[in-house]
Amino acid sequence: MTDFAAVRLQTEDFSQDAEIIALKASSKRMGGIATFLGCARDFSEGREVSTIGFEAYGAMALSEMQQLRLDAIAKFELLDARIVHRIATVTAGDNIVFIAAGAEHRVAALAACHWMIDELKLRVPIWKKESTPQGDAWVVPHP
Amino acid sequence: MIQVLFFGPVADRVGQSTLSVDYQPNLSLQALRDTLAARYPQAFELVCMTAVNGQHVREGSMLLADQSEVTFMAKFSGG
Repeated sequence: MTDFAAVRLQTEDFSQDAEIIALKASSKRMGGIATFLGCARDFSEGREVSTIGFEAYGAMALSEMQQLRLDAIAKFELLDARIVHRIATVTAGDNIVFIAAGAEHRVAALAACHWMIDELKLRVPIWKKESTPQGDAWVVPHP
Repeated sequence: MIQVLFFGPVADRVGQSTLSVDYQPNLSLQALRDTLAARYPQAFELVCMTAVNGQHVREGSMLLADQSEVTFMAKFSGG
């Protein structure tokens, strides 16, 4: 049975459709939904990437993601929001992170979605390691 | 006892993901960091964030309570 909380860390893949259905179920006033899907690439920093592994400080990461959702709801007057991040080893094309913001109108939904993924990268203790033919390396974030 | 956690690139450089430090009264976060940084200098080159009991802490002067969980973290790269 899938835990279908609005904020989750999980090993398994997620369904964007299921997340959007859950988001829409929270309010009939929702006129705009913006989503962000982060997925794995097979090329990074000039190197082929075979797999990407994620590691999290689980308790803190979940707590930060929950607070991030609440902050976004308050800041952008959202009707609801969802954040799901996989903690697993993934290959090119696999889903990594999904963010959805639902608001009465599109402007708030789009701005909130953009803000949440930027904030997630700054606030949530998750690290990724890329495996390449040259060896494994932890990713150093770009500004 | 204070539990120290490391993740990702910091854990790789330390060579382990946890260690325990004896509790001492008036032990500050900065003092603990200085002690561990002297022991694991390459790992602490990467440390730019610290959490105590799962909360971000920026004040090195914070005194650590017994049974605290302290985490020294590299810049995040999720998403």
